[in-house]
Amino acid sequence: MSPPFQIDLEQDGQSGRTEDATHPLGTPRFSTSPVGAPGNGLLLVALVTGALTHGYHLFLYPLYITDEGIYMQRAWAVIRAGALAPYTYNYDHAPAGWLVIAAWVSLLPRQFQTFGDAINAGRVLMLLVHLASVYLLFQVARRLSGSTLAAFAATFFFNVSPLAIFYQRQVVLDNLMVFWVLLSVCLATSDDGRVLTPILSGAAFGIAVLTKENAIFFIPALSYLLFGQVRPRLNRRFARGLAMFAAVAIVSEYFLYAVLKNELLPAHLNFNLSTPPTGHVALLYTIWQQLHRNQGSIVDTHSLVWRFSLGAWLPKDTFLLVVGTASTLINLVWGLQDRRRRQGELIAALLASGYLLYLMRGSVVLEFYVVPLIPFLAINMGLLGRSLLQTLSSRVVVQIAAVAVLFAALLIPIGHSGGYVLVRDEFGRVVPHDLYKLDLTGLQAQQLAFIRHQIPPDARIIMDEEFWVDLHDSRPSYRLAHSHFEATGDPDVRDKLFARDWTNVDYIVMSSQMLDTMQQSNTAHQYDWIFEALNHAQRIWVLQLGGIELEVWRVQHRMSRKRSSVRHDSSGP
Amino acid sequence: MLMGLLIAVAIMVSVLLTLQSAYTLFLMLYTWDQLHVQAMARAPAHFLPPQKSFTVMLPARHEEEVIQTTIERVMRAHYPLHLLEVVVICSADDIGTIARANEKMELLRRDGITNLQVAIFSDGPINKPHGLNVGLRSTHHEVVTIVDAEDDIHPGIFNVVNTVMLNEQVSVVQCGVQLMNYQSSWYSALNVLEYFFWFKSRLHYHARLGSIPLGGNTIFFARESLVRLGGWDERNLTEDADIGIRISVLGERVRVVYDDRYVTREETPPTLGHFIRQRTRWSQGFLQTLIKGDWKRLPKLEQRLLAAFTLGFPCAQAVFGLYIAVSLFMMFAVRVPDVVTLILELPFYLLAAHLIVAMIGLYEFADAHELKPSWKTPVVMTLGYLPYQGVLAYAALRAAYRQIHGINNWEKTQHVGAHRQSGVVDTKTQPAATA
Repeated sequence: MSPPFQIDLEQDGQSGRTEDATHPLGTPRFSTSPVGAPGNGLLLVALVTGALTHGYHLFLYPLYITDEGIYMQRAWAVIRAGALAPYTYNYDHAPAGWLVIAAWVSLLPRQFQTFGDAINAGRVLMLLVHLASVYLLFQVARRLSGSTLAAFAATFFFNVSPLAIFYQRQVVLDNLMVFWVLLSVCLATSDDGRVLTPILSGAAFGIAVLTKENAIFFIPALSYLLFGQVRPRLNRRFARGLAMFAAVAIVSEYFLYAVLKNELLPAHLNFNLSTPPTGHVALLYTIWQQLHRNQGSIVDTHSLVWRFSLGAWLPKDTFLLVVGTASTLINLVWGLQDRRRRQGELIAALLASGYLLYLMRGSVVLEFYVVPLIPFLAINMGLLGRSLLQTLSSRVVVQIAAVAVLFAALLIPIGHSGGYVLVRDEFGRVVPHDLYKLDLTGLQAQQLAFIRHQIPPDARIIMDEEFWVDLHDSRPSYRLAHSHFEATGDPDVRDKLFARDWTNVDYIVMSSQMLDTMQQSNTAHQYDWIFEALNHAQRIWVLQLGGIELEVWRVQHRMSRKRSSVRHDSSGP
Repeated sequence: MLMGLLIAVAIMVSVLLTLQSAYTLFLMLYTWDQLHVQAMARAPAHFLPPQKSFTVMLPARHEEEVIQTTIERVMRAHYPLHLLEVVVICSADDIGTIARANEKMELLRRDGITNLQVAIFSDGPINKPHGLNVGLRSTHHEVVTIVDAEDDIHPGIFNVVNTVMLNEQVSVVQCGVQLMNYQSSWYSALNVLEYFFWFKSRLHYHARLGSIPLGGNTIFFARESLVRLGGWDERNLTEDADIGIRISVLGERVRVVYDDRYVTREETPPTLGHFIRQRTRWSQGFLQTLIKGDWKRLPKLEQRLLAAFTLGFPCAQAVFGLYIAVSLFMMFAVRVPDVVTLILELPFYLLAAHLIVAMIGLYEFADAHELKPSWKTPVVMTLGYLPYQGVLAYAALRAAYRQIHGINNWEKTQHVGAHRQSGVVDTKTQPAATA
């Protein structure tokens, strides 16, 4: 009688440790078992919720912003000119984000015009990316928590929070970066034991960095997760080594591109920030410059992080930010106290903390920089919620009921506070949130229509970026319409077309807050000639709604210092 | 116009090389990626009582230095002597090896061991497959295996194969072969790792698909399968790969056993010249097998594609050699668009990935055999990596030249027993329990 075939436990091929070869993949640290019908049902609900909250009113709210215009403009350059930017590409961001946008637009039947305004094409992509991110977030949260309910809770905040919806509808690189980071984390939490999966995780992270460089702040948490996940496996060396290689190889393409363009190092190796090098742009100089940008840290109450957190983020969703941050801190403490049993909490907390530290570290912060924080705060809330529910009751029915009550309370207004979906207006009536009722981009559509009807295509226009693609891609093309950034920064536009002379400007198309931006950016008086043009201009169109003011100015080349309104379209708030 | 054509060809070759290189990487890492395959490939933990009888064929030519030790190791295997017969096969002109084999036979007889014979042939061609056919005709045991003159087989290997054949009812078992002297020369670590990845990983994928070029030794055939095949092809320089393809065509399942403890130990060629000649022979043999076309009779498309990919590999190596030369020329003489450059450098990334895999493989290999590489080894590997690829490419080009010009002589690889010298510790030789 032959004995059963057995695997020799001493043949693991690794010195110094004996491993259970009957479980050569190592003990799974996270739950990756199938979610079953109820779990799939909750995932479906999360996806449908995401589609509704992000898809409904997608083209109407919020207002198109400059950055959306910039990324669409660069995607346009990829498709139409085979270049990374229509102007000199100065390495301000790595290009993977708008390469993805360009790939998406090139698939559309009418490309940039498929959904009306060009930015809408990008917003549809953001919707699709959001749905993919919802799926990934659900998987990640479930694996880290072992709870489908916690996963659903995380996606609830990710889908319904007004803070999330506001920025996730916008065509910003951060949304794309979040998708790649979530994909990387999702692959890293897989317990399939393969070498390929960590490699793909590394590759996804590399693309995340090439989409938006601040993804690097997830490196500590992701490394801890990935290395810990493969540590018990027989293939750990290959998994670790090749995952790192995949990420580095992809990021290195960016540097290689700069080398090929002879734009890696600044001319004469000049890294002096007060006298920037001339001759050509340089990747390392841009990085050096960005590393030295400082606009106040968390200890400076006038810093941008305070301005945005108090002025823009907290009013949109106080609950998510406060409870999410508190959950992160609690999970971090619990995770550090018991790393083995609270591995999921520790990783979720590290993911959120890394990015929180980035926001607080003291540098330039833009309003939408909060985007990558949202999914990880949501995961932390899901994980903490699961722990609290377990202490509340062991019965699933009770837990579901508690979650349902909380979610319902968040959706509707209670007292004077607004809900996620319904709010009270100034008359005390319960109305839909601005996200679902205001049409702001319609104002910009009117401004664009005015330009098309009233301004000749050969006019020399200074404007913001949001109409750039619309004016350059549709016929007739306004090929002399340029943003104020390029008018003051790009040598060709600044020195050849406008020659820094206000008399060379025909029209100024003012978007909301464009004047503020120009004034704040005029540190070296580079905008002076544009302000001079404005001083010699006549406002020929204006549209106001609340704090939004859109204008079109015609420069009077033979008129001095006359500023008067000709046409005033006012939509009262 | 000419430059445009050059760029187009360069892009095409670059993409093809990238795909080929990525697929090779996948094959190298197959059992690490599919850990259950690696677990299943190991030797059984418990052996069945010896039942199968083995014929061990020991083809040798000018192997005076190593043949006696090899015979000794085979005869001292942990397997009943009455179930073993050993035949040393030599051509009549190899007086030295014959004398050493006879000398050893006499010594063993004094110990009462009589199951060794020396088979001598005087007809041509003088090569390994002819010798194997001679040996096959002069022996009788149920399972036939080949041991090369410099091989150190594990004493428990017959128990492993006996158990696998009885348990799994397979007629062909390929066991692991491993070069050991990884610090002997600048190229030896890279050569050692080729074997490591080939036997520990890649062959399992070939076996799973049923399209496998077998290794040259420690391969065990049911005699009836060999007889049915008509033995080895005496005109083929890689008779092992050829017979593997023919067995695959018959639909015979090949079981690959790889267990670090039970690998057959060999040495890298002692000089670069011998290494080039050995690699030339392999490349030419693969080309011969490719041209012969038995692989076209494999029933499934995926089997045929894998066979063509494997047998055509020397062509890729030759192209790679030319690619390096063209790359160097283009680097200094041609200005191409940046996107084209980014495509052209894709093979470089794959090359870097291969180097990293080799580097990690070095430590996997060292751990498996309880060795400690010196700090110089990875440095030498890195410095020697590109020259090594150049040598392989040169050997592939040389093989193509020989094949085109009908040169088919067997270029013998010298063996000096470097794997039996210091620095290579014979570990884990304790046999598993016999049930």
